[in-house]
Amino acid sequence: MREVAVLGVGQSQFGKMPEISAAVLGRDAVLAAIKDAGISARDIQVAYSSRLYDAAITSQDVLKEVGITGLEMINVENACAGGATAVRGVWKEIASGHYDVGVAIGVESMTTSPIARKLIPPGKDDIEGQLGLTMPAVFALLARRQMHESGATPEDFAQVSVKNHHHGCLNPYAQYKKEFTVEEVLNSRMICEPITLLQCCPNTDGSAAVILCSMDFARKHTTNPVKIAGSALLSAGYSWQQKDITSSPLGVETARRAYEMAGCGPEDIDLVELHDAFSTEEILRYEDLGLCKPGEGVAFLRSGAPALGGKVPVNPSGGLLSLGHPLSASGVRVVAEVTTHLRGQAGKRQVEGAKVGLAHMLGGFAAGLEAGACGIHILTR
Amino acid sequence: MAERVPIREGTFQEGPDGGSLLANKCKSCGQIFFPQAKLCQACLHEDLEETPLSRKGKLYSYTIAHMPSSFFPPPHAMGYVDFPEGVRVFAPLKIIEDKPFDVGMEMEVVIEKLADLDEKELIGYVFKPV
Repeated sequence: MREVAVLGVGQSQFGKMPEISAAVLGRDAVLAAIKDAGISARDIQVAYSSRLYDAAITSQDVLKEVGITGLEMINVENACAGGATAVRGVWKEIASGHYDVGVAIGVESMTTSPIARKLIPPGKDDIEGQLGLTMPAVFALLARRQMHESGATPEDFAQVSVKNHHHGCLNPYAQYKKEFTVEEVLNSRMICEPITLLQCCPNTDGSAAVILCSMDFARKHTTNPVKIAGSALLSAGYSWQQKDITSSPLGVETARRAYEMAGCGPEDIDLVELHDAFSTEEILRYEDLGLCKPGEGVAFLRSGAPALGGKVPVNPSGGLLSLGHPLSASGVRVVAEVTTHLRGQAGKRQVEGAKVGLAHMLGGFAAGLEAGACGIHILTR
Repeated sequence: MAERVPIREGTFQEGPDGGSLLANKCKSCGQIFFPQAKLCQACLHEDLEETPLSRKGKLYSYTIAHMPSSFFPPPHAMGYVDFPEGVRVFAPLKIIEDKPFDVGMEMEVVIEKLADLDEKELIGYVFKPV
């Protein structure tokens, strides 16, 4: 296997922009990534794109806007982990020596999708979904168990949202740049007890792109390339195998594989970008990723460790809670964000001295399964 | 009388005791599945037999939703109940005023109308505090 570098990163503005097509959102991200990489569009040899809704030939649709045609283009879907899947696809192409330079794109136009202004609908044969198990309900049921198992309080959950919105105020790409207090988060509209509106990620349009290349190619363009040291993607097991729903076999095993490949452990990680679709969820992910011991996620949060300036800042971008969640874009966006920090280019939200970062994304829900897929990339400088 | 249609065939049976959920059990390794599985998800054995679950179980988690979902206007409750057979089942919960939900409380299965669909009544399973 060859070493793979992240040479360029880019993203579009995130927000509610129904007048802008997915192709144009993707174009903006790819153009930014090409410019950032300092290469020509003609250098790109392979493309993977991820889009969940209303999608067909997304790579072709986006790349025709920037003068790229006639290459191997692959279009994937893996619910919210689709973006991570596209990154891993390009990583495999380059690591295996099939190509030297490729682009991974994630794009979603939520406001023009068939689920615009709605919740993600249950599948036809999903009896739990038919009986009312929406995504907020899934995480609300988890949150109740977090309160039971580890003494988490509604204030703890709200604190995650306060933290991520604070980070988002420092990020020019955030959809919502607004500070909130714990009281404001708790007093926002109740959605599914104990989760309130300001603890749910918003529906958002947006795109992100990363250009990956062989280390040989990268060294011709930069003296200090960011490397993908670990890449893991895994589908979930059955929910009947999960005795305690607050402990995620999927997250733990995906992290184990990524750490093993990277030759490092959670103690080496300087920053994390992860799937915080609901504030309550972020606390579970601290434990999955080994940032703290099982059951100690709440204590980790209360210690201030995951805030900017803390031991391991989590979601310094502002996370899905303040950036918004264009489903397939988020898995690419987290890789771009971690890269930006490792280069020291993250501006006011910079995690100082970051050398190793972890980009996580989780996606999908099907009756009978713990989740859909989890994708993790560990980047080093 | 309106025609009664189950939310899914083969998931429950009605009876004088209030009815129960219908799981199935692997004849090789004994793993139990609800809803019923086509083959054993643990050992891949293809011979499973139908087995009713106990009528009562313990509340594992719950939430009250303040937004509509599928058939239910807000507020509506839902949760997971753990049955003694080792099976965890999701279903709507009946809100009873003087019996607030609490993790670990005893719940029982009730088979009842979930919603009116055109000329039909949609029948399904819900849990209520004992």
